[in-house]
Amino acid sequence: MEEKVLEILEEYCEEALTYEGDNMMEEGVIDSFTVINIVSELEDAFDIEVDAKYVVAENFRNKEAIIDLVKRLVEAR
Amino acid sequence: MILLSSGFVILWVISFALYYLVPKNRQWVVLSVASALFYVIGTGGIPVGILFTGVSTWLCGMYLKDSFAKQAQALADCVEKEKKKSMKLGFERRRKRAQILSFVLNLGLLLGTKYMVVLLPFMQNAGLSTLRSDVFFARVVMPLGVSFYTLTAIGYLVDVGREQCEAEENPVKLVLFLAYFPSVTQGPFNRYAKLKAEFERMHDFTYERMLFGLQRFVWGAFKKLVIADRIGIFVGNVFGSDAETVPGGIFALAVVLYMLQLYADFSGYMDMALGVSETFDIVLPENFKRPYFSKSVAEFWRRWHITLGAWFKDYVMFSFVMSSPGRKIGKAAKKRWPNAGKHVTSVLGTMLVWLFTGMWHGRTMSYILWGVYYGVIMSVSLVLESKYGIWKEKLHVKEGKGYALFCMARTWLIVFVADVLIRAESLSQAGSIYRALLTGFQAKASLFAVTSYGLSKYGFLLLLAACLFWLCVSVWEERGRDVRRDLAACPLILRWSCYYGVVFLLLITGIYGGSYDTAAFLYQSF
Repeated sequence: MEEKVLEILEEYCEEALTYEGDNMMEEGVIDSFTVINIVSELEDAFDIEVDAKYVVAENFRNKEAIIDLVKRLVEAR
Repeated sequence: MILLSSGFVILWVISFALYYLVPKNRQWVVLSVASALFYVIGTGGIPVGILFTGVSTWLCGMYLKDSFAKQAQALADCVEKEKKKSMKLGFERRRKRAQILSFVLNLGLLLGTKYMVVLLPFMQNAGLSTLRSDVFFARVVMPLGVSFYTLTAIGYLVDVGREQCEAEENPVKLVLFLAYFPSVTQGPFNRYAKLKAEFERMHDFTYERMLFGLQRFVWGAFKKLVIADRIGIFVGNVFGSDAETVPGGIFALAVVLYMLQLYADFSGYMDMALGVSETFDIVLPENFKRPYFSKSVAEFWRRWHITLGAWFKDYVMFSFVMSSPGRKIGKAAKKRWPNAGKHVTSVLGTMLVWLFTGMWHGRTMSYILWGVYYGVIMSVSLVLESKYGIWKEKLHVKEGKGYALFCMARTWLIVFVADVLIRAESLSQAGSIYRALLTGFQAKASLFAVTSYGLSKYGFLLLLAACLFWLCVSVWEERGRDVRRDLAACPLILRWSCYYGVVFLLLITGIYGGSYDTAAFLYQSF
């Protein structure tokens, strides 16, 4: 699962892979269009629905947070 | 009552003193009373709109809270998976209906106030207007800060519905969140969870915080009175003239100055609001990050009116894209156009956001066109983003200082074209200005006429000096430095010379209206 998430991140926002902080959205590493594309790819890849309530800075603060979000949504499926 | 009036200063001083004298768990009460007084005196005594929004939002929040509690209880008592799912859907549907009702009521109030005002001149022309009806329009139909507190209330209910924060049980605390006096008239847009945490913290008086708050307030006043209001004289006279008689060069200068005026005025207000709040040890979100250093329009809007952009992104853009119609459109588009289809929902969301942004800013067709203009530019740049690298390689463009300056100039040009639309008195005047800029620039005539629009040679020189000073401060901040901390580390004489210098310039060169009441803030009218 992690590999697939990282693959999607690499395609849409390579910078996210090397980012080491914890506020990727507010620091402008990842913009809203990129978030939308990443969410759409994650939904297709893992057959999940990412509700708007999950699209917050906290869940997109770095690559680990995104992986964690996907894990939670897959488990709750 | 704006932040530069004597009445406000008295209110600030008294509430500041009481704030640090009362028990710390009652500091929010002082802020509530100060906010109520600010609002009541500021609107002339009829805060109907904000009370309506406050009570309806509080009731809806309590309903959502109750619904979540009942849902948790019902799900705990149920063992069948399918039944649990349908129960959950039922609760969600009812919560959504309550939210929609609250949104319709509050947006109805907002749209009603924005568009009812259009009726006033017609009523006056038809002789239907009386002093009483004018007062009714001014104080009830046009409540102070309605555009700000309505969106703040909607954001709160969405957050409660998304379980990103708990509903506030105390209606007075909720109204304080909506009407906190430094931010009620022009923002910034606050998020409930963050501001609640600020209100609930215990606040101790510190000299440094008070000084920093005052410094920021004075710096905001400097931008407003010395720069924005000085530019306002020239810009007002140029745009108030017959467009056919003004040379294109004068219009070019007026629009560039208007771009600076809007920035100085709005960011000046923000500095004052955040400075006042800082003296109470309440941290408000930043609304500007030196937008004119942006290298793209998207970056510009991430640095300009940041909290409004974030509001539209979180509550309109993501809500649309991740809604079931948004998903259906996205999936169908991807199926039809495997490559370009992935952008369809983002483009639709962007257009929607910019249409609403335009409508939020003003009620005329110019604002709708302004919104569509930015929506189209953002969408085109989103779709073409992947091509930029290829084009740059083909054209042998190297990313250096020159390229960065080119990108900044391009951003300025795009904003310039948009600002003509919102500053011109009408769409036909905007058309005349574009024509004059393209076909009648008349550089020499413009140079001779530049002092004929209310601002003398010395006025321009003073403005230039103030803008250069502002630029130096901005460059310093852009390099990641904190001007106030750096100043605090300077020797005493230098530090106090700076303080006195800015205050002296403010008092001597600020533009003051009749009875020392300053001109209204530009964003107050949005």
